[in-house]
Amino acid sequence: MSGRVLEAGLHLLDRQLIDSNGRLAGKVDDLELEVPSGGGPPVLTAILAGPGALSRRIGGRLGAWLEAVANRLRGGDDRRPARVSFGVVKGIGSAVDLSVPRVDLETDRLEAWTRDHLIGHLPGAGHAPE
Amino acid sequence: MRRLFSVALGILTAIGGFVDIGDIVANSETGARFGMSLAWVVVVGVIGICLFAEMAGRVATVSGRAVFDLVRERLGARMALVNLVASFFITFLTLAAEIGGVALAIELATSVNYLLWVPIVAFLVWLVVWRVKFDVMENAFGLLGLALVVAAVALWRLGPDWGGLLHGATHPVVPQGEGHPTWWFFGIALLGAAMTPYEVFFFSSGAVEEGWSRGDLITNRLNVYIGFPLGGLLSLALMAGATLFLEPRGIEPGHLSQVALPTLLVLGKLGLAVLLVGFFAATFGAALETGLSCGYSIAQYFGFQWGKFVRPADAPRFHLVVLLSILAGAGLVLTTVDPITVTEYSIVLSAAALPLTYFPILVVANDPDYMGDKVNSRFTNALGSIYLLLLLVVAVATIPLMILTKAGS
Amino acid sequence: MRRSWVVAVMLLVGGCTGPVRSSPVYESKAGQTAEVVASAVQTALLAVDAAEDGKAYGRYLTQVLVEAEEDAGAAQGTFDGIQPPDDRADELRARLDELLGDATDTLADLRIAARRGRFAELPELARPLPEVAAKLDEFAEAHG
Repeated sequence: MSGRVLEAGLHLLDRQLIDSNGRLAGKVDDLELEVPSGGGPPVLTAILAGPGALSRRIGGRLGAWLEAVANRLRGGDDRRPARVSFGVVKGIGSAVDLSVPRVDLETDRLEAWTRDHLIGHLPGAGHAPE
Repeated sequence: MRRLFSVALGILTAIGGFVDIGDIVANSETGARFGMSLAWVVVVGVIGICLFAEMAGRVATVSGRAVFDLVRERLGARMALVNLVASFFITFLTLAAEIGGVALAIELATSVNYLLWVPIVAFLVWLVVWRVKFDVMENAFGLLGLALVVAAVALWRLGPDWGGLLHGATHPVVPQGEGHPTWWFFGIALLGAAMTPYEVFFFSSGAVEEGWSRGDLITNRLNVYIGFPLGGLLSLALMAGATLFLEPRGIEPGHLSQVALPTLLVLGKLGLAVLLVGFFAATFGAALETGLSCGYSIAQYFGFQWGKFVRPADAPRFHLVVLLSILAGAGLVLTTVDPITVTEYSIVLSAAALPLTYFPILVVANDPDYMGDKVNSRFTNALGSIYLLLLLVVAVATIPLMILTKAGS
Repeated sequence: MRRSWVVAVMLLVGGCTGPVRSSPVYESKAGQTAEVVASAVQTALLAVDAAEDGKAYGRYLTQVLVEAEEDAGAAQGTFDGIQPPDDRADELRARLDELLGDATDTLADLRIAARRGRFAELPELARPLPEVAAKLDEFAEAHG
């Protein structure tokens, strides 16, 4: 990833993530920054996606409500927001293009769950509409 | 030749798909109460929806992304969430109203109680969303919806006093014995019915579904500028029918059967049958559109895969949202609340939320990052801004007027 | 938006069917009820007209007549549930109830005949309706 200086607020947040197959993989809900051990400005290490990340950014009542819904849906004890390492970011244009298919991403958890437990069971789920 | 055919198809589909249960109820009730004095609101509404639908279609065509998709990027997550909640709630209410409308239309044809049809209708709506290709779905119900033209045919056959009708339409005067606030309230409801938010989401997402690109910009404009106004004429035909047959007798249409009376009295059994097909197609088509729009709005905000152009297994959460919305909508109708009442609420609340849902479209359509050289012209922006101001005034006035007039008493 | 819906909403807002505080309010509710029932009566008349001209399906006709009767009955039921505030209101109620009774009786006759498929009888059964409608209009005019 070239060292492009971006205004993170304007150019990265809320952008659509698109995987290597052109499928939609969520939005840039929040960003993970790491301060390098040797000092210097914080470095963008990952994109955070999913209702958990979003609710924190929205804050306030609305965010808290969103967080509650998200936790409900996620179940389990895994309360971390889904993380997309910056290493898989291929390019940033009007959307953020990723170099991997979305099944490889943490953000696909809920989508996969829905597919496996609900929608996938309905007849015709695997076929394109006619 | 092929091109001509597809353009014609697009226009016809736009005409047939324009009217939904909200328009049917609003135009009929208004005509019965106030004659043609509020016809100008339909004109204002049609111009408004043409303006913003063209914008939304252009955004999708040029950027390849649906308007709602981009709202979050442009306006930020918080503002877009507020927009989403309002839009989703209203679209859901409209979905319930449409499902109820389909059931009522079938009841009228079969005399079997509408409640029994609700589960079947819900299932069919879901099935079509699940299995039928997007353009096939749109074309089928759009063309079938053209059956509503029979209402206009009935008018023409009747040979009414056109001068009188025109006079009523061009002289917006509150009829004797009616209050001004009530008149304005009905006007607001009429505007809400003509400009219901889902129409724009759907139009924009539909452009992506059908894979429109720059070459389709002109088709987009033709569909909108020719199709929608003609669809608006169908609405006015319903209003005129009510003006001529219901108003003189003090009949207030609270049932679809009463809405059908004018057509029946002029064209008899055949006219009625065609009209019922039209009612069915219009409401079923709108149920499909609102169901999908429920899914579009949520998926496009959170960024997960949406659309009928992928296999359902590739857009599971989108399809789940659509399925749950349809179930919940059917559930609402099954509480035996009058579907006409649900419709009335949906159009009034739509009016109250119009600025919230339309403002983002104007913003996105002006963004050169997405639109390149196809940003709004100065004229479009001027007209769009005037409309937003108007919609703001309407939105602010809606609830107070509703309370003041006791919802149109 | 429709008056029938509004009458129901007003009652919910006004504390179900308890006593109405002032006579003018009661009077206007009476007037509105008359309007709603007049609308139902006129609908039935139009439907019978269509039947006479052979213009309508039996099913549709029956539906229209059933709905007209339901609307009138519901309006009457709602109005009767309101506690009249004073004697003058009692008198008003009595007069209106008589009119409403005439309307609902005739509408019921029409509904019964239609359900039995006896469409030919409808015009005859509907004879009293124009007068009832006129009286209801008069009432609504005077008290609405």
